[in-house]
Amino acid sequence: MKKLIITNLLVSLVITMQLSCMGVANASDILIKNARIVDGSERGPNELTDILVKGSMIVGLGNGLSAPQGGRVIDAAGRPVSTGLFNADTQLGIIELGSVAGTVDSRTSNENITASLQVSDAFNPSSVVIAYNRSLGISHSLIQPSNGAGIFAGSAAVVKLSNTGNIVVKKAAMVVSLGQAGSELAGGSRAAAMSLLREALEDARDYSKNRSSYASGSRRAYSLSRHDLDALVDVVQRRQPLLVRVERAADIERILEFAREQKITLILSGVSEGWRVANKIAEAKVPVIFDPINNLPSSYETLGSRLDNARLLHDAGVKLMFTGMGWQNTHNAYLVRQSAGNAVANGLPYNVAIQAITSNPAQIFGIPGYGQIKVGADATLVLWSGDPLEVMSNPDLVLIDGQEYSLESRATRLRDRYYKRAIK
Amino acid sequence: MPSEKPSDSDESSSVSPFASTYLVPQAPATVIRGATLLTGTGQQLDNADILFSDGKITALGSAVKAPAEAVEINGAGLWVTPGIIDVHSHMGVYSNPSVRAHSDGNEAVAPATAKVWAEHSVWPQDPNFEKALAGGVTTAQILPGSANLFGGRGVTLKNVPSVTMMGMKFPDAPHSLKMACGENPKRVYGDKGGPSTRMGNMAGYRSAWIAAKAYDKSWTEYEEKVAKGDKSAEAPSRDLEMETLRGVLKGDIKIHNHCYRADEMANMIELSKEFGYQITAFHHAVEAYKIAPLLAKNDICAVVWADWWGFKQEAYDMIRENAPLIELANGCAIIHSDDETQIQRLPQEVGKAMAAANRMGMNLTAAQVIKWVTSNSAKSIGLDDRIGSLKEGMNADVVLWSGNPLSVYSKADKVWIDGVLRFDRSMPVLNHTSDFNLGIITPTGDRP
Repeated sequence: MKKLIITNLLVSLVITMQLSCMGVANASDILIKNARIVDGSERGPNELTDILVKGSMIVGLGNGLSAPQGGRVIDAAGRPVSTGLFNADTQLGIIELGSVAGTVDSRTSNENITASLQVSDAFNPSSVVIAYNRSLGISHSLIQPSNGAGIFAGSAAVVKLSNTGNIVVKKAAMVVSLGQAGSELAGGSRAAAMSLLREALEDARDYSKNRSSYASGSRRAYSLSRHDLDALVDVVQRRQPLLVRVERAADIERILEFAREQKITLILSGVSEGWRVANKIAEAKVPVIFDPINNLPSSYETLGSRLDNARLLHDAGVKLMFTGMGWQNTHNAYLVRQSAGNAVANGLPYNVAIQAITSNPAQIFGIPGYGQIKVGADATLVLWSGDPLEVMSNPDLVLIDGQEYSLESRATRLRDRYYKRAIK
Repeated sequence: MPSEKPSDSDESSSVSPFASTYLVPQAPATVIRGATLLTGTGQQLDNADILFSDGKITALGSAVKAPAEAVEINGAGLWVTPGIIDVHSHMGVYSNPSVRAHSDGNEAVAPATAKVWAEHSVWPQDPNFEKALAGGVTTAQILPGSANLFGGRGVTLKNVPSVTMMGMKFPDAPHSLKMACGENPKRVYGDKGGPSTRMGNMAGYRSAWIAAKAYDKSWTEYEEKVAKGDKSAEAPSRDLEMETLRGVLKGDIKIHNHCYRADEMANMIELSKEFGYQITAFHHAVEAYKIAPLLAKNDICAVVWADWWGFKQEAYDMIRENAPLIELANGCAIIHSDDETQIQRLPQEVGKAMAAANRMGMNLTAAQVIKWVTSNSAKSIGLDDRIGSLKEGMNADVVLWSGNPLSVYSKADKVWIDGVLRFDRSMPVLNHTSDFNLGIITPTGDRP
């Protein structure tokens, strides 16, 4: 509770500062008229709505809203408006160029730092990758660490692709790899990875109850460094979900059982064979993160990979979050909407696909003000040239917390330089 | 059209080993009526018919007369394109599951391996082939990887089921030679005796072409003697590495050159002029837009992704309008996959690039841009007289789409290769599946 109050104070402080920096408060007020709202809720197909934005918030929704004094009026003329999109597995701001080691902060090979790696500590909001993806409709992401020396990769964070206040949830989930990747990290065998996980959580529990005797050197040796154990205390005390990378049906069942025994909160990531155990995932109320475009047996643990995995999981009642597209999920994080569109082409209801890239992660990671278009929500909005899941659509306007962001990027600057030469 | 015809006087190509054994199976004549046709030649025909029989397209237009026995398909609301062609695929050479045992795409033991042929690595049971077919891909050029300066010969395959590679091989299609610029060769060989720099790469190419010139000269002299009836002429000894390079110098083998940066592509063009060969295409070509007029002037295709970038330094300057700016310079733009997931939806990739271009100020249409995965692709693999466009006399490689193929929501409903229905979304049990997939989920359940 105390923590909440402090956060709220900080938030209001930031808002006040922003307003005073910008001078005239209502200069940024915007009325978007005749928008087709796309936020995953059921609405009439031809229903058009006006959206009134004041400061950082949506303050009005309805028909025939009057323009704010001194503000802008944009006629959407039936174009869709969504919230900014969310990609649930990227490395935005922690990788600039994949092969340039100095720009890669998503992993470490340091053996003493596994669970204690917090990607938020390395986040760079000035990355061109961020400006690029923001200009193409992404406003939020779960940025995830990669595995280095152990099965724990570290804490994923929810970030906002804005100029200020980027780190929304610092320790959103503890990432651990099981399955084939876990086996390799554990020195061979999925069972060894499970054993390491079990030992780590036992050690974290023991450590959390015996910190002073550990500090005085009178406690048994633990499997992980002090910082790593510290990081896992939040998991065993259920303050942070364990995000488990797992693909095979049997491995999914096993981790569901393990989480039940250990009383920890789970998120599953990968889940190529999730459809085979969809009822069990649904029953455990465990949400999943995956790229619905995957349908190939890239390994023996993804033999069951299929394009209608999303539909089958949804039909069973599993809550979905998406990433994509393919391995370009960081530099082209915005293409998560292409992955979502392909899920729809393969039977997933449209609104469910939208929820998977907006309101579901908002709800699961507890992001205040984000995820749906309603009065009182943050004005984090994208006006699209057409259906946001259609590959031929593009953003016409991007707002995060009411602030308009440029549709220019390093890529469009390069483009314009050579286009001008070509048409001269 | 260069094709590898046996020649009596040239021992180096007097046999045609590993020749295609593909034969066009019998199939009924088929007519699709009232569909939207993207011809691949720049046209969109609305409410049009297309008839094919005996493996060839025989008519298209309105109210096409079909033989009584022809299969009639109502194409109302559906779209038709030529079979999609991917000129950069590693299906079969980097098969799934991607276990080490399936890693057959880079002969990464020496920087120059023009002697190896990708077709000798192809595993016809790669489960990727059928997924590409479901995405409308009827032809694919399978290339070696890009670890080496000279990676080896590429092969063009028809996307048909076969137990042998020869059963998939496109009859009388020219080979290609994969070359690679930039970061990959210098990274792979930097600690293995080089090259370790771009200048080292260039020295490697030049040394090889100098040797190839000498080899070509000795064989040409020999062939001339034989042609004059000189019975005492002695054939030089064969060298597989040099045979491939000589094939390039003679114009029989097409250069497909992995190259990202504009300045490097310009250097490679100079290199080709120094040794007198033609570069057919630069692949990946992230910076092709910077030299679009130069590529057009030299008749070199730019084979690109719609939007991939950022995985290495030379892939930093990507713009989504790369292919469109090649088009604007009247060049040859092609979208490739290089990826077993992307290959399943190449028209969507085209759609993204088109939309980005039109936002920039161009006015491209689906009729124009479908060339990027059909007729332009066919040209770059030397097969534009047979595939890549819907014209009378062309091979009946035809895809029927559920809607505009550039849309995220459209899927290939039916795919014909040489007039034979090879994929039908409405009849999943009739579609071929790889041996690999049988009984692998459960004893009675195949891979989905």
